[in-house]
Amino acid sequence: MRTLLRRFAIYLFTAWTTITVNFILPRLMPGDPIQQLIGKLQGRVTPEMIKAIKAQFGQGLNQSMWTQYVHYINQLLHGDLGISITLSSPVSDVLSSQIWWTVGLIGVGAVVSFFIGTALGVLFGWTRGSRADAVIPAATFLQSVPYYFLGTILIMIFAATLHWFPLMGAYDPSLSPEWSWTYIASVLRYGELPLTSIVLSSLAGWMLGMRNMMVTTMSEDFVLMAVAKGLSRRRVMWHAARNAVLPSVANLALTIGLLVSGSLLVEQIFNYPGVGNLLVNAVGNEDYPLLQGIFLLITFTVLGANFLADALYYVLDPRTRTAAVH
Amino acid sequence: MSSSDTHLVLQVSNFSVDYGYADEAVRAVTDVSFSLGRSRVLGVAGESGSGKSTLVYGLTRLLRAPGVISAGDVTLRLSGAREGETIDLLAASEDELRAIRWSEISIVMQSALNALNPLHKIGKEFDEVLRVHDASLSKPQRRERAEELLALVGLQPDRLQRYPHELSGGQRQRVMIALALALRPQLVIMDEPTTALDVVTQREIVSELHDLRERLGFALIFITHDLSLLVELADEIMVMYAGRIVERAPALDLYRAPRHPYTLGLMESFPPLTGERVAMTGIPGSPPNLKTPPAGCPFNPRCAHAHDRCLSEMPPLSDIGDGGRSVACWLHDPASPLEVPVSLSRPGESTPGGVK
Repeated sequence: MRTLLRRFAIYLFTAWTTITVNFILPRLMPGDPIQQLIGKLQGRVTPEMIKAIKAQFGQGLNQSMWTQYVHYINQLLHGDLGISITLSSPVSDVLSSQIWWTVGLIGVGAVVSFFIGTALGVLFGWTRGSRADAVIPAATFLQSVPYYFLGTILIMIFAATLHWFPLMGAYDPSLSPEWSWTYIASVLRYGELPLTSIVLSSLAGWMLGMRNMMVTTMSEDFVLMAVAKGLSRRRVMWHAARNAVLPSVANLALTIGLLVSGSLLVEQIFNYPGVGNLLVNAVGNEDYPLLQGIFLLITFTVLGANFLADALYYVLDPRTRTAAVH
Repeated sequence: MSSSDTHLVLQVSNFSVDYGYADEAVRAVTDVSFSLGRSRVLGVAGESGSGKSTLVYGLTRLLRAPGVISAGDVTLRLSGAREGETIDLLAASEDELRAIRWSEISIVMQSALNALNPLHKIGKEFDEVLRVHDASLSKPQRRERAEELLALVGLQPDRLQRYPHELSGGQRQRVMIALALALRPQLVIMDEPTTALDVVTQREIVSELHDLRERLGFALIFITHDLSLLVELADEIMVMYAGRIVERAPALDLYRAPRHPYTLGLMESFPPLTGERVAMTGIPGSPPNLKTPPAGCPFNPRCAHAHDRCLSEMPPLSDIGDGGRSVACWLHDPASPLEVPVSLSRPGESTPGGVK
């Protein structure tokens, strides 16, 4: 347990560092980004908004950096990430309304491809040296195709030409978001192609990784012992797979950490809502409060995922618990 | 096996193993024949690469690719409910093999740390073999049996809750031995079980094995390169070189009076436990490349007594009429032009049937 707590302390420190950098950066920016921003908004700006924007960047309040810093941290602790300039609503509201699209699509995609890819990897590792090895070059090819290319091709063929799937968006535009079967069915229907593209592009990576680990693990003595013990083929395979899967599980946790940044391409190509789309728009409109909010979100998912990977390893591999046992 | 051989557990004849296929094949075990009686201990000695491990993994059909059994017959006599039956191990199907694995033949590997699943508690290892082979045992019964087995090798029952990496090397190897005895097999194979341990632990484990075998009566094939260890445990010792048996004799005879120059060299590579200090000479050179074995006797490039015949003709393993010994060496051939050197002709203080 002490190992985990120590890791947690390190992550806490990293989080604090990120928050501090996030606080300092806009205050070090040359020129006057505020006037630029206000100019961009072309009169649709109220005096309160200007005040809010200035406060965001620590101007016009005549406060010391330290007071501002304490204030900033205090705001963060209350979940206040400032006001989005372009959307005129609190960044925390914007993010919490959009994050579920990203989690739902990218997160589910990562988990689905992990399970399918790992299962295939176990099988192909087990049958190594047989004709099933022919699948490896195909998998390597699939793995090396850039995502934006794969996604665009899928849209061109299956949505634009064959009309099997909707072209873009997350649900039928004629519906409004609500808890109804029609709406949920529409969301699922619109999610099929983007989800397929994510699974296709990351499946091969999981599969090849797991296959290689399987082959390595199967040459271990304890697998030969499992055979010598007269265990069934399935059980022997399980002995090997359970050990071989450890690096993949850690990788899965880390992949989930890249959820937000990874969503960028998918959401752009499929014109899907979510944090990735938000990020692109925020960059385009120089919406600094929103950008800062997204960066914090990215940092925290990466940190959270790293901690999750540590915790999973701790649970799955008794050898990492040695320090706690003695 | 004929009916007169009911005291035999295992009978092996003309057994050969190749690594690789067709032209690429390298013969790692050549023409090995031996039989093992009930409750007997057979020691197999030889350098690394002499084929001793390949031999036992081949016999038990545990060879990994590209190991291929290229010739031979291996017959195992079954015990318990199938008493009286025999099984041809080389012809047996996967299912037939699975049924006799661990219940009739179990194995202890050199590195217990690698042989135990790192993610399983010791208790789970016992639970698994007991459950898979005897569905009638309840969970508490399996646990009780596991504790019994640990007690057999002098370990506390709380070890069942431990993971392999939490035990010492000696404890792990004891766990492996207890595990090998879990289903009361009639044949246990131990592949250098003590090599990775310190000398004191080695001795302890060997003497425990000796007692266990007396009590439980399993037959044992014990592989090592340490002849002095074997002599305490084995009834008979087989010395292997380049995949062949070069000498086979009752343990003490072989130890006191080796007949093959290689056996002598092997013995001189280990300090004796008692007596005067002698210089360790070892064996000059290294084992032959099995891809291009030397003509004649494979030991001839390293042998101090090699003569013309050794360079051209392979000596057969033959009984030299000396207390049940067989030696594959032209020196002991009646037609040999050379006098057998003193070091290889000491009288063996043979007692019939081997010595403890």
